[in-house]
Amino acid sequence: MARLTIESLRKSFASTVAVDDFSLDVADGELVCLLGPSGSGKSTILRMIGGFEQPTSGAIRIDGQDVSRLPPDRRPTGMVFQSHALWSHMNVFNNIAFGLKLRRLPRSEIRRKVEEALELVGLGGYGHRQTFQLSGGQQQRVALARSLVLEPKILLLDEPFASLDQHLRERLREEVRDIQQRLGITTLFVTHGQDEALAMADRIVVLRNGQCEQADAPDIIYRNPQTQFVAGFIGQMNFIAANVEGGTFRHPHVSIAVGVQDGPAVLAVRPEALGLAATDGEAGATVLRSTDFGSHIMVDVELADGTRLKAMTSPSIRWERGARARLVPAAYALYRDNRLVDSGRVEGRATTAASLDVVRVTV
Amino acid sequence: MADTATASATGGSEPAIGRGLKGLLLVALPVFLVGWLIIYPIIAAIVSTLFVEATDGVQFSTASYRFFFSDPYSRANLALTLWTTGVCAVLLLLVGLPIALYLRFSTSRFADLVQSLAIFPMFVPSIILSYALIRTIGPNGTVDILLNAVGLPKIPSPYLTPWGPVIGLVWDNLPLTVLMLTAGLAGISNSAVEAARDVGAGPIRVFWHIILPRMGNSILVTISFTVLGIFSSFTLPYVLGPASPEMMGPFMLRTFNDLYDPLNAKTQAVISFVFCLFFGIFYVWSIARNQRSQSR
Repeated sequence: MARLTIESLRKSFASTVAVDDFSLDVADGELVCLLGPSGSGKSTILRMIGGFEQPTSGAIRIDGQDVSRLPPDRRPTGMVFQSHALWSHMNVFNNIAFGLKLRRLPRSEIRRKVEEALELVGLGGYGHRQTFQLSGGQQQRVALARSLVLEPKILLLDEPFASLDQHLRERLREEVRDIQQRLGITTLFVTHGQDEALAMADRIVVLRNGQCEQADAPDIIYRNPQTQFVAGFIGQMNFIAANVEGGTFRHPHVSIAVGVQDGPAVLAVRPEALGLAATDGEAGATVLRSTDFGSHIMVDVELADGTRLKAMTSPSIRWERGARARLVPAAYALYRDNRLVDSGRVEGRATTAASLDVVRVTV
Repeated sequence: MADTATASATGGSEPAIGRGLKGLLLVALPVFLVGWLIIYPIIAAIVSTLFVEATDGVQFSTASYRFFFSDPYSRANLALTLWTTGVCAVLLLLVGLPIALYLRFSTSRFADLVQSLAIFPMFVPSIILSYALIRTIGPNGTVDILLNAVGLPKIPSPYLTPWGPVIGLVWDNLPLTVLMLTAGLAGISNSAVEAARDVGAGPIRVFWHIILPRMGNSILVTISFTVLGIFSSFTLPYVLGPASPEMMGPFMLRTFNDLYDPLNAKTQAVISFVFCLFFGIFYVWSIARNQRSQSR
């Protein structure tokens, strides 16, 4: 049970700045996901918390104690690595028991704690197995048990499911979330998979070029992205660049009354908020293809200026390639210089589902 | 349809036979050379030391071997060779392992310089190294001159003592040792070391519990490989070593060249070969064990 505070953390390697003025407060028992593309600095932040990288400046505090300059073996953190990092010359029991042996605990206590940890990760009775006899998922559970058995104040997970297949990844992330909630352990989780972040996190921190773009609950990150980068990075998003003139965002295919000053802006509309209406007019977007996902159909359309958009429509409606469609956005966000300047629902349109109902079939 | 199947089956087997022949031809020359230049001389040497000319024709005799092991001078030479080999192997590990660890885990630019310096002796011929060492640590060498200049006494020179060849051989074999140990260390991932640090192991415990057990095989390979070279070395023991006792290399040459005694020279060679064969088998066993563990 611990609180993690990161203050103005900075890390530079030679001429590149990996993390720049990053601050974060993680509450006791909270699971925070660091999410970002490759090179965004998320792993570097985690490695600095674990003690494997020294910050250039800034402070890392665990329960108020500054641990920034402590070596990894003296920090109350436990890290699970992407590559499992199990020691192949030890069996499962010894892998988990190694840290306890270093702490010179009595043999009976080590045995009890290791068996408890194995039960916790669903591998009871696997202690005598060699690590190379385990599947990828089992190896990652052993790595998790190895960290948990030492009861760290902060659990650090560095893309732990990246090397696993999709099915196993989904199962393991649920199990990890269950264990984390049961133990109430403060956890920092690094991933570049938005699904993972949305499914697991209490809070998501979206990183870009070593800086925090937005730190919020998953639903807020998805529904109310504060920057154009976050809007594009989380989920699917359509962007239409044009100008705001006289309080209206004007584009040949879509015009929306907005409450911002005149100037260039980027309109963002989620595929599920973008309806399509059949039109015979030349001003319509051209349907490129429609893909049936069972629960919905994703229609790809192209605007006259070459911009490509995706619209999620009802499976009962079929769009043929080459058909003309009018864009009917239900909700939008407007960005200028990467910052959110306006958002809202479009007048006269109730919900996405309702908007989908009015689209006529063009065959 | 059947014709097509037959034709394709025939077409498939012909290239396979051709590939097999090409493969055999490719290995034929090295196999022939190994047989001619290595296997045949070994067998000829063993046979010629056991079946010797006597007054009533060729007879089986172990007299030359009995002489070698009953002769105190020959035994002393063998003992010196084994001592030199053992001491060199230990020193090479003690010197090479820290350098290899530094090269593997250091991220500083200084590591490149250290690597260059560690590899440099590989490009220095043994004879030049020998005379360089004589001029440096020999009597009235550079070290003595420098000590004298500051009013200190001269060092007891290792030149012409058993330590002379030890210093030279360690210097000469260091690059190979460092390269092989570094290659062994490359198999230990950074995350394996970091995971150990994470659960509370300091640098010494990481080395003892994580690194050393996982590079046991490469240490075995390194030792057997360097020991093979040191046991049969000639130039450095000949130039830097004592005249008596002497290592097996110079001993064999002197027995053959100065004493005109080919039978005893060959016997010494066979005995040296048996020791080297032991290390050779050890080396092959280490390699095979390593391959088995990697395939798991």
